[in-house]
Parts: sequence; structure tokens; C-alpha cells
Amino acid sequence: MRIVKKAQAGTMQSSDLMVFVEPAETLTVEIDSTVKKQFEHLIRQKIDLVLATQGVTTGKIHVTDRGALDYAIEARLETALKRGGEV
Amino acid sequence: MVTELTCAADVSAARDFIQRNGLTFENGFDNLAGVFENGKLVAVGARAGNILKMLAIEPSHQSGALLGEIVTDLVNRGFSAGFESLFVYTKPEYATSFEALNFSLLVCHERVALLEYGTGLEQWLASAHHLIRPGANGAVVMNCNPFTLGHRHLIETAAHRVDHLYIFVVREDRSVFPFEVRIRLVQEGVRDVPNVTVLDTSHYSISNVTFPAYFFKERDPVALIQMELDLALFAARIAPPFGISTRFAGTEPYCEITAGYNEAMKRVLPNYWIEVVEIERKHTDQGAISASQVRAKLADEDWTGVAELVPESTLAWLRSAEAASIRERVHQNKGRH
Repeated sequence: MRIVKKAQAGTMQSSDLMVFVEPAETLTVEIDSTVKKQFEHLIRQKIDLVLATQGVTTGKIHVTDRGALDYAIEARLETALKRGGEV
Repeated sequence: MVTELTCAADVSAARDFIQRNGLTFENGFDNLAGVFENGKLVAVGARAGNILKMLAIEPSHQSGALLGEIVTDLVNRGFSAGFESLFVYTKPEYATSFEALNFSLLVCHERVALLEYGTGLEQWLASAHHLIRPGANGAVVMNCNPFTLGHRHLIETAAHRVDHLYIFVVREDRSVFPFEVRIRLVQEGVRDVPNVTVLDTSHYSISNVTFPAYFFKERDPVALIQMELDLALFAARIAPPFGISTRFAGTEPYCEITAGYNEAMKRVLPNYWIEVVEIERKHTDQGAISASQVRAKLADEDWTGVAELVPESTLAWLRSAEAASIRERVHQNKGRH
């Protein structure tokens, strides 16, 4: 899947996250999180996994998280990719 | 559920709600959003460009999820409208509520706090990190619309007095000359000065966010707070990483807003141990050189006049084919910016 336009998914509520995706030449993943110190590596791991599953190799992914669990991260990122991506 | 408030009755209810919560209702927003409970508003917020404002939550409903709901809605709309960064002005006591929503505090000054969504300032500072030079450094923040011999004089004089001088060119595109042109003419105009670095201000100095009144002609109490906040942000967050201990400015004989900004510099910056140095403007026999004179002479196609006020590099560009549309625009628009 390739990101062809800007898209977003999610909310700012506690235990949720917002995902912003946009087209870019390279792949970058930016993570802001209220629990960044403790869990950034796990959030990143999950995001990388979803990106790999969806075959996304370029784009700018920006996540602002408020302590979402891994299935929420997966669902929000998948939704954002479906909104902004083209197979 | 968050609803957009568009009809007159809803807007007027929102106005009452905002005022009842001790905020000022300002017109000129892009979205006004609210949450109703049993037909009554319990939360309101608005977005104007990349700024979120007039956020108010019914006191009995505070510390719940409403702020997150309203802000989510406004951030989504701002993102859809194409804004990369979003900012919020609030009272200092509410800053932590926004920090919990992944906003980061830029600066607190007296009764106002400015936060941004995400970590744009840190990223901007990181991207400029390789430009940092050791020593007792100075800074000027300039619009350069366009670069004149006056700017050149200020830069030369300032560069003499410090180890290294950073020239921050205002990024906000509200001027006749677009940012890309303004910064290029500065770079060309100072190429032979050894100890200067030219960079841009991003959103963080004299921008639509920190100091919108600069781009209008207003001078009111709000403009005064904005100026001081803009300077506090510079002093607290930008000056320290760059090792800036002196900020330079040209004396301002023409524009009341800029003169007020210079005065605010002298009030605010010394509190952060930053010295303010005003440098007398370079004069010709027609008075102090200013970019607005250049634009006026350009509008009259008085090329001899223009040549007296700008360096070779600026003159060459102004005469080039690339500048045709700008010459046209200067003709039509004989305003301040």
C-alpha cells in the first residue's frame, strides 16, 4: 500500500491515539506520547509491524498517543492508512 | 457528541457561554464547535487558522473527557485544512490539561500560556542544531521585505560586536516579497560577512501565531501581550540553545508597531539576561532607509532611487524577469507590507 494523500484517524481521548499519515519520499515515524518514556519502543514496534503488514514503505506517520493499548494502535493506524492509501 | 455551531442561535449561545466562562468572544474563526447536554451547551471551542481558541468547559463537567472531544474535533479540522502545526492560547493554570493531550508548552508569560500540538519547536531547534556556533552570540529578527542597505548596515554593525550573529528571517508569508525571495536576498546580501548565519523563524518569532498584530496596523492591549509573549518565547526557548546574549534591532522612526516591539524588547529581554542594542538606522539625504521606501520607489519605477537604497544583489534581482510579478504587485499595493 502507498500513502497518496493526507489522512487521520483516532481521537485525543485517554487510552486512544491520533494517527496522521501523509505522502513522503522516505518513511518516518514520529511518536508523541504521554507514556513515551516507558513505552515508546513498544508503540514503535507495533507501528512498524502494521506498516510492514500493509506493505507501506514510504510516508510520514505521526502519532500522538494517550496510553492506547496495542489493538487500538493497530486499528487506528490501519484506518488512517485505508483513508490515505492506495493499494 | 461534538457538533459544529453554525446557525445564529447556536453561535449566540456559544458567545454567552464563552463570556460566562471568563473569556472574550472573538469573531473571525474557521470552526466553532460545541457539545450539548439536554439542549444546553457544556463545552465550546474554536479554531482560527492554526490557532485553537475560546475553549471553555462548563465547570461542573471539567476534568472529564469533554476537552479531549472538542480539541480532537478542532485538530482534525485543522489538519484537514492543511495546517501542520496547531497552537493554543490558554491560562497558565490550564496548561497541564493540554499537556495531557500531547500539547507541549512553548512559553508562559504573565497571564497567558502558549502551547503547540506536537513537538514542532524541538524539531525545529534540532534541525538548526548544526548551525549553532560557540561564543557570546547575537541575533536579529528581520522581515527584509526586501533586503536593503539599511539591513546590511545593521548586520555589519551587529556582527562586529558579537562572536557570531544569527539572522532570523521572518517565515510568515504576509509580505509583498515571498519568504523564499526574502531569505535568498538576505543570504546574497551578507555573503561576504564572515560571522553570520541566516536562518528562518518558523512559527516561533514574529509569526501569525506569536505576533499577528505585526502584520496588521493595530496597536491595542492584545498586541502588547502578543509582543511580550513573542519575546518571552525567544528569550526562554530560542536564545539559550543558540548562545544568544544580545538582540539587535534598528531604531524605528516610521512604524508604531515596530517601535512598540523595540520598547517591549527592552522591557522583556533583560529579565532573561539578554542585552538589547538598538542601532541607529542608516540614513540617506532622504532620511532613514526602509524597505517601504524601496517598495514605494519600485512602484514609481524610480530605479536610480532604488539603487541608492539596496545592495547590488537585491537590485539585480529586482530587475530580473523573475521579479516581474512582484513589481506588478508593488504597483497595485502601496501598503505597509
